[in-house]
Amino acid sequence: MENYLLAMAVFAGFYALMALGLNVIFGLAGMINLGLVGFFAIGAYASALLTVKLHWPLLAGWGAALLLSALAGAIVALITARLKGDYLAIVTLGFAEVIRLAASNEIWLTGGTDGISAIPGPWRGMATPFQFNLIFAVIVWLVVCATGLLLGRLSTSPFGRVLRAIREDEMVASVAGKPVLRFKVQAFTVGAGVLGLAGALYGHYNAYIAPDGFQPLITIYVVLALTAGGTGTMRGAILGAILVVFLTEGTRFLGGAMSGLKPVQIAAVREGLIGAALILVLYVRPQGLLPEKTRILSLETP
Amino acid sequence: MTARLTRRAAVLGTLAAPAILRTGLAQSAPIRFGALTPQTGAGGPYGPLMVKVIRAVADEINAAGGVLGRKIEITSEDDQTNPDSGVRAARKLIDVDKVSAVIGTWASAVTTAVAPLCWENKVMLFTVSGADSITKLPHQGYIIRTQPNSFLQTTRFGQHIAESGAKRAYSIAAQTPFAVDVYTRLGEVMKERGGETVGQVIYDASKSSFRSEIDTALKAKPDALFLNSYTPDLTILLRELFRAGYEGKKFTLAYAANTKLLESLPAEVVEGLVSMAPSPDINSPAYAHVKAILGAEPDPYASQVHDHVSLAALAVAKAGTDSGAAIHDAVRAVGNPAGVKVTSAVEGLKLLAAGKEVNFEGASGPCKFTPTGDIENCKFRFEIAEKGKYRLLSVS
Amino acid sequence: MIAELTQLLINGLLSGTLLAVPAIGFTAIYAVLRFPNFAVASHATIGAYAGFIANVWFGLPAWVALLAAFIAAGIVGVVSDELVLRRLRSSGPMTVAIASVALTIVLENLVRFSFGNDLLGYDLPVLRDWRFSGLRVGPQQLQNAAAAAAAMAALFLFLAFTRTGKMMRAVADNPMLAALKGIDALTVARLANFAGMGLAGFGGMLIGLDTSIDPLTGFRVMLSVFAAAVVGGLGSIPGAVLGAFVVGVGEELSLVVLDPSYRTAVGFVAILVVLSFRPRGLLGERAY
Repeated sequence: MENYLLAMAVFAGFYALMALGLNVIFGLAGMINLGLVGFFAIGAYASALLTVKLHWPLLAGWGAALLLSALAGAIVALITARLKGDYLAIVTLGFAEVIRLAASNEIWLTGGTDGISAIPGPWRGMATPFQFNLIFAVIVWLVVCATGLLLGRLSTSPFGRVLRAIREDEMVASVAGKPVLRFKVQAFTVGAGVLGLAGALYGHYNAYIAPDGFQPLITIYVVLALTAGGTGTMRGAILGAILVVFLTEGTRFLGGAMSGLKPVQIAAVREGLIGAALILVLYVRPQGLLPEKTRILSLETP
Repeated sequence: MTARLTRRAAVLGTLAAPAILRTGLAQSAPIRFGALTPQTGAGGPYGPLMVKVIRAVADEINAAGGVLGRKIEITSEDDQTNPDSGVRAARKLIDVDKVSAVIGTWASAVTTAVAPLCWENKVMLFTVSGADSITKLPHQGYIIRTQPNSFLQTTRFGQHIAESGAKRAYSIAAQTPFAVDVYTRLGEVMKERGGETVGQVIYDASKSSFRSEIDTALKAKPDALFLNSYTPDLTILLRELFRAGYEGKKFTLAYAANTKLLESLPAEVVEGLVSMAPSPDINSPAYAHVKAILGAEPDPYASQVHDHVSLAALAVAKAGTDSGAAIHDAVRAVGNPAGVKVTSAVEGLKLLAAGKEVNFEGASGPCKFTPTGDIENCKFRFEIAEKGKYRLLSVS
Repeated sequence: MIAELTQLLINGLLSGTLLAVPAIGFTAIYAVLRFPNFAVASHATIGAYAGFIANVWFGLPAWVALLAAFIAAGIVGVVSDELVLRRLRSSGPMTVAIASVALTIVLENLVRFSFGNDLLGYDLPVLRDWRFSGLRVGPQQLQNAAAAAAAMAALFLFLAFTRTGKMMRAVADNPMLAALKGIDALTVARLANFAGMGLAGFGGMLIGLDTSIDPLTGFRVMLSVFAAAVVGGLGSIPGAVLGAFVVGVGEELSLVVLDPSYRTAVGFVAILVVLSFRPRGLLGERAY
């Protein structure tokens, strides 16, 4: 059990990191990004390929993953600069699908749907599975805490305030003389970098990645995590991620209570409950569990 | 940070204590196996039947007194046909339920993802995935599969296609890493027998229309089509081939063209479709047994998981203990050709309890494995759809 | 080559007509309620299953089953909006949109719970295609396209000539002004949901007629449906139709130069191109 709980803590860490990345893009700058799993995948593949095929050290792989997905984020942000809200949502959703298609079809590079296996992990093989989980849990949560602190700083800095101003009213921000496009691209770049880092860590923990692991469902879970936790706050993002992992995993243990049902029905109940629980959270706390403290923006915006 | 680490370790230490107690009670505790099958996602049509068979076999063993006087307990998890969910489900089975064997992974991607967890934790993995790459993993003997790899399958399929008189075969395949290899191998086999392959189209299985792909294929004027697909896309392909007026031979894989597919399509659309599969040994008593459990003709996976549970239970009995390592060591010994041939776990358990050697032959075939975990040989079955029903062409 | 291109064009137009129906549903709800309701995916599936029950269990002909699909999905649409989404509207469109994603997961699993994952097929004959000088067209596709066209025509007539239709357009155009004129926003919202989700269900069944149905029927085509609505301009009904043709034809024509396995990707590149020149879609955001 303890090993399992640790593993889930690691997974919660990945989700938290993704929620943090999304929070910069969506929470602060207000750009909806339904393609976040695409950046996650870029990070995962970059680091896996560099360490497996070119034998780069782990840390170099992780750094490269961060940079590459940040670069991808910058490009996507530039291409979609003129798009708003719902349009951006669909285009980013498409972006993630294109990444997944490329990962399935460019077999020479990615191994296609077979994926890449035997991705190295820190002290994997030397440590017992429990120790490995423990090491990884510490690494992931250190990264989550560091990222959370840094991004928290960022969000209260003048940079963060401008992003919020853009989120609330782009026109006002640009009239106030802020280079809106540059700020949006920067936010997207930072967020995408964090998403890519999460992907890299995920690959090295799992030892295996494949296109099937980067389905839109992950995006949905992370968006739900951020919304449930509280869009705009770093603590909310982390809390929401923990909640989502708790829900997806906790519902497994309900199987025993449903012995009269067919397995497919139990599976349906489980997935359905996850959706229902998240609706419930939105009902009770529409602004999330840890909402952003509302401020009067007209006083805040310089 | 060090302080916090130790505290965490201490907390976990206390959590671990009950687990140690539990091992002490192991003699009366149940033997735990995990069923890890796709209940949702692309594998959804197959998983439910697999679990049904796994549970039924365990129930029978339990009703006959269990293994080493202990009951078998099956915990079933859904892998959602998704490697990420599969890994988490497997962690739960291994870490929480403490299973010593994981049975039934279907999608190759899921199997590949779950496999390292199994060998690192010394848990035996029984799978029905066919990708060549799986048994090439460094699994230290912790993987066994009853599904022949795709090289062997394609060879036999190609022979059958050629022997049916086809000269110009065309491959329509869903995007998978082995789609190209299958096509190449198909070409070699056709050539040996005086035919040839005249092209292939690889499509995106998530689309809901393949009219243009069909047009491309028919332009090559093939006299036989090899449809390397999954059930949902095969349904669409068959409809569109019918509409397009294609009258040539159609070959596909049995896991895609299951009986549900035949029921969901009008008879004239599937007429003449030949389904090919590594065959369960349909004359074996074990196969009849699986059929009785399901009340219908079993698909290959349902037959294979019957053998997985049986092998695992017999291996536990043979080894005298229920750890994954014990199953790993004993699983080949219960297929001892010098032993008494048995076709059910219950039968075999009785003999093992009496100190005899057994030779288990299951519903999927003789269940003899190479050192890397591949099946040594197996039969192949070819069926043709006529008036909405399958007629057996041959098992060889 | 010309024949080949014409064939691709025909295929694209036919699949475009099918996409158009749920795309209209999606865009109609957006026009009135101003949020992307991602639950159209599960409503398309529900429509397909309702049609299946009518057609296979009760032996009703396909057109009655299509009506059943429309009504069932419409009712589920109104009820689910009433129970789940309506109360969240005050929290902003993005919250509702996200709740609609959660809703679609719940509904899809209700279907899975009731029917399992097995493929189901309608009780209809599959007809051979007609051939004209090297081109082929399926009678079934033509029928489906005709059904889709009829549904669209009915919607246009409803919006253009009935009192309620005019009310809906008024709200879509300017909710503030409509409220001042005493139009009850809630009734209009319910109507929009009924019609929009009904169309999603209708479209879901049309797609099912062409293929088979399972709990993922709606989800599989959803990306293309959203894409169609966005290309055309969210909230614009003619836009959704146009967008569906652009996506349908674009995906087919791409086969000339690209591998079929990249078809989805090409659809999205087309969207990106359209949106780069017209960030609000081809027909902007006018409701009619």
